Amino acid sequence: MTSSILIARDLHKDYPMNGAAVHALRGASLDVQAGEYVAIAGPSGSGKSTLLQLIGGIDTPSSGSVELLGTRLDALSDRELTRLRLTRMGFVFQRFHLLPVLTARENVELPMAEAGIGRRERRDRALELLAYVSLEHRAGHRATQLSGGEMQRVAIARALANQPALLLADEPTGELDAATGTEILSLFRRLNQDGTTLVVVTHDEQLAAEAGRVIHMLDGRIREARP
Amino acid sequence: MNDWIWSIKSLARRRLRTLLAVLGIAISAALLFDMVMLSGGIEKSFADLLTAKGYQIRLSPKGTLPFDTEATLPAANSIIRQLRQDPAIAAAGAVLGTSLYGRGPDSLVTLFGYGIQPEGQGLYWLQAGSDLAPSDTNGVLLSSAAAGLLGAEVGDTVRMVGRLDPQVITGSVDRKLAVRGLVRWAYDYRGQPSVGTVLPVMQALAYGNREDRASLILVKAKEDRHAPALAAALRTRFPDLEVYSVADLVAVFKQRLVYFRQLSYVLGTMSLIVSVLLISTLLTITVNERLGEIVTLRAIGVARSTIVRQVLIESAVLTVVGGVAGLILGLGTARYLDSILTSFPGLPAAFSFFVPRRESVSTAAVVLLSAGCLAGLYPAWVAARAPIAATLRSEAT
Repeated sequence: MTSSILIARDLHKDYPMNGAAVHALRGASLDVQAGEYVAIAGPSGSGKSTLLQLIGGIDTPSSGSVELLGTRLDALSDRELTRLRLTRMGFVFQRFHLLPVLTARENVELPMAEAGIGRRERRDRALELLAYVSLEHRAGHRATQLSGGEMQRVAIARALANQPALLLADEPTGELDAATGTEILSLFRRLNQDGTTLVVVTHDEQLAAEAGRVIHMLDGRIREARP
Repeated sequence: MNDWIWSIKSLARRRLRTLLAVLGIAISAALLFDMVMLSGGIEKSFADLLTAKGYQIRLSPKGTLPFDTEATLPAANSIIRQLRQDPAIAAAGAVLGTSLYGRGPDSLVTLFGYGIQPEGQGLYWLQAGSDLAPSDTNGVLLSSAAAGLLGAEVGDTVRMVGRLDPQVITGSVDRKLAVRGLVRWAYDYRGQPSVGTVLPVMQALAYGNREDRASLILVKAKEDRHAPALAAALRTRFPDLEVYSVADLVAVFKQRLVYFRQLSYVLGTMSLIVSVLLISTLLTITVNERLGEIVTLRAIGVARSTIVRQVLIESAVLTVVGGVAGLILGLGTARYLDSILTSFPGLPAAFSFFVPRRESVSTAAVVLLSAGCLAGLYPAWVAARAPIAATLRSEAT
């Protein structure tokens, strides 16, 4: 029997714009089981990134609820929610957003340092994670010395630093060329095979096709969910 | 990697901009340190000068400050005798200050004369030759400027002229004196040609007879801590004289130079404000440039407190680096300004306007550091309060 690690119910999100409300989400519900690989696809403006931000607890819904590992996110204080994101979730963004002044290893160590993991342990784990994404030889290089694909792989290693229950990725191949995008794609496949639960937002059909389940969104609603 | 290294690396991203900001903070901090040195420095320097020879009390004619007017007090030797009998007094000596002339190689030169009692003198340090004996009525001490004007060295004989008649350019008192030593006078301005003789000789040069007058009397208490009580006792004992302790003189001096302190407070405050604005502006610009990174850190679970700490550390690093550079610059500037100000006529050369005192410089450094950290509060608040989702959305477009 599988268990839901993420349950999102009837999520609405409205943004005020020029005195009117923009309805980014109009009642989206989603369950994600442990070990699943879910892709959220749809055209630009369909609400897929908004959905990801709500289930990742980096934005709050106008109505509806999100439950992660049995904890309702709206019941948490800002501090508790931040801690939950740090320890139970991993995030990968389109623009990588590594700290350019730090090395690849230091970037990976950062969430572990924030979680209070000791220096030696986090260093060892950072090197392991960099090896996992095939970048151990670039551990001492600054983010600015890495290619786009390498930066995204470091960002993935950073997202895995605190062994999250759920990894969320927002257009992870959006800034990469096709060949590099394919490398990231195979990395995600391997991650999922190794037991990581993944929710990936993408407009890349190839990336979506890799997922075990694809959710299509249009106009803030989930239109179709196919296995 | 620790927070400090992270901060230094972050600041090093825009090296030229950070360097310019540090330079601005350094200049501003230099002004602050200079103003701090100026505000208390004059008093400190004045107090040091007054106690340089260990004399803590001055007696001067009623209603005057020492050497502030040409007024003199009568029966100087009688007062000195009474003072020397006081068991609380270690030494006492009268001083007469007057103008006189010396015969130089080509003409008469104007000099300042001190009549002193060598056994109780608090006015000079011997630099060459020997001191005057209390009964030496044939000797004279010269400042190096006076020696230069008179073309004299230790062992030479010089002629001193008192009570000069300007119509005929002859003096009614003319004495030949042997140069016993070269001295540095404590209260002389730079290059002042001063000479010193025992008191009776200078009285003769000044008045043409043995009129027993002096400009002031210096008193040394046996113990420093008893000086205020001794001053109070002397005030009662000599109601016709002004009695000043060093603290009294410093208080009078402080009152006279109150505008200096006000000026230094105003300029010091302004420099502090400029430092705060510089740091705050630089960090606000930096934070806004790095907002994408900052909200990503927030998104991945980095606490607001970590972000705030990071910005405050950057602020502290800027302040410390700028402050240290400012201190070095401030000390250099103070030295230069001091050399200009102390060359003003009438000011003792040993006097300083800018005195770097450990406690005041430390206080200024703490104030600067606190203000620097305070300057980081606004950019830290901007960084900590940045909306994660909205910023990520705007970064993605």
